[in-house]
This record gives sequence, structure tokens and C-alpha cells, in this order.
Amino acid sequence: MRDTFHKELESLDQDVVRMGALVEQSTLMVTTALIESDKELAEKVKRGDQEIDDLFMDMEKRALTVLAQQAPVAGDLRLIVAILRVINDLERAGDLTFNIARMVEEGDFGQPRLKPVKSIVSELGNAAAHLMGRAIDAWAAKDEAQCAEIATEDDEIDELHSVLLEKLVEMKGDNALALGVRLALVGRYFERIGDHAVNMGERARYFLTGNEEHLS
Amino acid sequence: MNPDTSLGNAPVFAVKDLDVHYGSSLALKGVSMEIHPRRITAIIGPSGCGKSTLIRCFNRMNELIPGARVSGEILYHGENIYAPGVDPVMVRRRIGMVFQRPNPFPKSIYENVAFGAKINGYKGDMDELVERSLRRAALWDEVKNELKKSALDLSGGQQQRLCIARAIAVEPDVILMDEPASALDPIATVRIEDLMQELKKDYSIIIVTHNMQQAARVSDETAFLYTEVDEKTSARWGIMVEFGETSNIFTKPTDKRTEDYVSGRFG
Repeated sequence: MRDTFHKELESLDQDVVRMGALVEQSTLMVTTALIESDKELAEKVKRGDQEIDDLFMDMEKRALTVLAQQAPVAGDLRLIVAILRVINDLERAGDLTFNIARMVEEGDFGQPRLKPVKSIVSELGNAAAHLMGRAIDAWAAKDEAQCAEIATEDDEIDELHSVLLEKLVEMKGDNALALGVRLALVGRYFERIGDHAVNMGERARYFLTGNEEHLS
Repeated sequence: MNPDTSLGNAPVFAVKDLDVHYGSSLALKGVSMEIHPRRITAIIGPSGCGKSTLIRCFNRMNELIPGARVSGEILYHGENIYAPGVDPVMVRRRIGMVFQRPNPFPKSIYENVAFGAKINGYKGDMDELVERSLRRAALWDEVKNELKKSALDLSGGQQQRLCIARAIAVEPDVILMDEPASALDPIATVRIEDLMQELKKDYSIIIVTHNMQQAARVSDETAFLYTEVDEKTSARWGIMVEFGETSNIFTKPTDKRTEDYVSGRFG
């Protein structure tokens, strides 16, 4: 019964995974673009964000239509609300990769003296992408244990972010401050991508359990 | 029967292991639940699961059906309404009922409201009782200048509110409603639902509805009934699957059958 409704819910659910995969890929690509000062790759990331934004708009509209026309309740309601919240997180994460890509285009991160710092940035970017990947897997599997683990893995990203900031503060030489500030922003953006992955895990867990304690 | 109705927050009804048979067929099995004061309790479930059978147990209306038999207990303010010696007519005087199709008497608006009170031997100011009942049923302003008009000249929604006024006039503390809005247009339905929110300040209300959104909108607690089937004999009877706060039934029900029903995965 209500085939159209439940098929649309399934379709939206799968599109969350698709959107998450785009964000994960974007995060990996922009990390590579940064490390290798690859401005062409950075441009590709920026174009890719448009695809993420288009998917976000489409899914938001479809989710609102489901709410208006189908009056979902119980698990279906929690799922639609989770989808609406999660696509917000994913769209923001996409915007953050766009911001990093723009900084790669405008900045000069190819200098040798940045090498020690860039290895931390590389770890940070890959950790954020990996956490986003874990969040997508947990969402797709609808597995509570996997969802619960996401929040704890965020600690690694926070730690890397702290180490990066310490190293940036120690940087010396021409333009050290300007470069330091830009890389600090990049670090912050990666850390925020990690936060969005954590939000996704929390929302998936709340959908599964209906327990408000799992929202924070 | 003369139960003490001043028991604060104690349950108005306590249903214990209720079974209902029509002849040799079991219609409802093992229902246990409580109805709490000044709350609206909705009974939902698929067609044929025993919703109307259950609500008719609260005022012993099932006995008007030949062959109907009730076992178990329903305590009304602590007194079993099915105890030997309890007069079902007396029970029905204290517990009003509103039906799916409005059924005003073929009398004036005034007489409809006054009728039950007169039979109960009401000695107070009848004009005041009629006005108070019509006001509480949100109908007074529309009919105050036409109280002698026939009730049958009113619209469907007005007739239903008149039936509610009639039920209130005998000063019950419980109002039973069996699909009260399903014969009404959407605007009349909204008025009945708004009226229920007002009425629950003074009355406990039990409503049977097949409209889940309505149950979700108006009720504080919801009971979900479902049909069990004997594979060998194909006999079917209703059981209570889940009973709880409406917000929980519609956001995180505990039983999968409830989840599937409210989500429309079966009907």
C-alpha cells in the first residue's frame, strides 16, 4: 500500500548516499589539489559543488512534497526529517570544499617550506573524507553501532586540527602570517566537514532509535 | 450506580481482560486499558478490528445487539459497570454517546437538549441548562434565536454539535464518539475537532476514528487495535496491540504492527 510514497522515500534515502559520495569525493580531490597545488583539479572541485547544490535543491523540494502530500508518521516521519537535516549538512560540506578549492586557485601552496605543514593538512583532509565515507556507510546500512562510532572518530580530526594550528603559529619568513591564516582556514574547513559527518551519524541514529538523547 | 466521580487523576475507566462475543463468535479478546480523566483517547485500527465494539462496551450499548456477550470488567470510577444488578440504562445516562451519523430527535432544538435531562429528573433551571449545553457545544450563537426550530432543519455539522449538546446536558463526565466527523465536510470536521479540545477541559473523551491524521491531531492517547486470525478456522477477532501517548504512537511506536499500520503499509 502507498507504493508511490514508500518508493519516493527509498529514492530520497538512496540520494542521500549519492550526495554523500559526491561530498566525500570532493573532499579527497580538494585535498590532493591543495597538496599538489593543482589549480585545474581545484577548478573541477568547484564545478562539482554545483552538482551537489543541484541535488540538494531537488531533494529538498521532493522531501517537502512528501511532507505536504503524504503526512508521514512514525519511522517515515523520522526518516524524512533526518533526510532534510542531513542534506543541509552535506550541502554545507560541499560549500566548504568549494572554499578550499578557491583558496588553492588564489594562493601559492607550492612553496617547499610548507611541506611539513602540508603533510598534516593532507592527513586532516583525508581523515575528513574518510569520516564522511564512514557516515555514508552508516546511513546506507542504517546500523546504530556504526552511527554511534562516527562521533568518537571525530576526535582524530580535532587532534590533527590542533596540531596544524600549533605548526602554523611557528611558521616564519616572508608572508608567513598570510599563508598561516589561509592554511588555518583550510584546516578549519576540513574540521567542519568532519563535524557535518558527525551530524549525519547522529541524525541516522535518531532515525533508527527515535531517542532524543541520540541527537547530541 | 453512583460512583464517586471526584477522584482527581484516578482513571475514569479501567478495562480488564475484556472479551466480547456475538453469539459464538469472538469479536474482541483480552483488552486491558485505562481511560484517563480530561484526556482524549483515540481508538484506531483497520476495518473490522473491533473499534466500535470496544467503544460500545463503555456504555453497555453492545447489549442492544442480540447475542452479544461481554466478559471481563470495566470499572467506571472503580465500580464495575458489568457487575450483576447494574442497570445498563443507568450506565448510559452517565456516559453520553455521539454517533457517526448525527441523530437528533425529530423535535425542536430546545427539546433535543432538554429531553435527557428531563428523563433523568433534572430539577434545575432548564433554560439555563439548555443554553449552557449549547454554548459548550459551540452551537448557541447559531441557534439562540431559533430554539423552537426543528433540529432536522440544521446542517449536518450543526446537528452533530446538537447531539454533543444533548449528550452534555445529562452532565456526564465521559463522552463517547464513534466516528463523529466521518459524515461531515472538512470545515464541519475542523469545528468538531476544535470543540473536542474545548470539551476535554471538563470531560474525558473516547473517540473511534478511521482517520489517522484526526487521531494524531486531536487525541492525547491512542489505542491501536488489530485483527488476529486463527489459520485453521479463519476465525478473526480484535486485540489491542499498543496503547500509549499519541505523540509516541505516531513518532516511535513500539510494535511493528502499529508502525506498519500508521505508516500505511497495510490497512
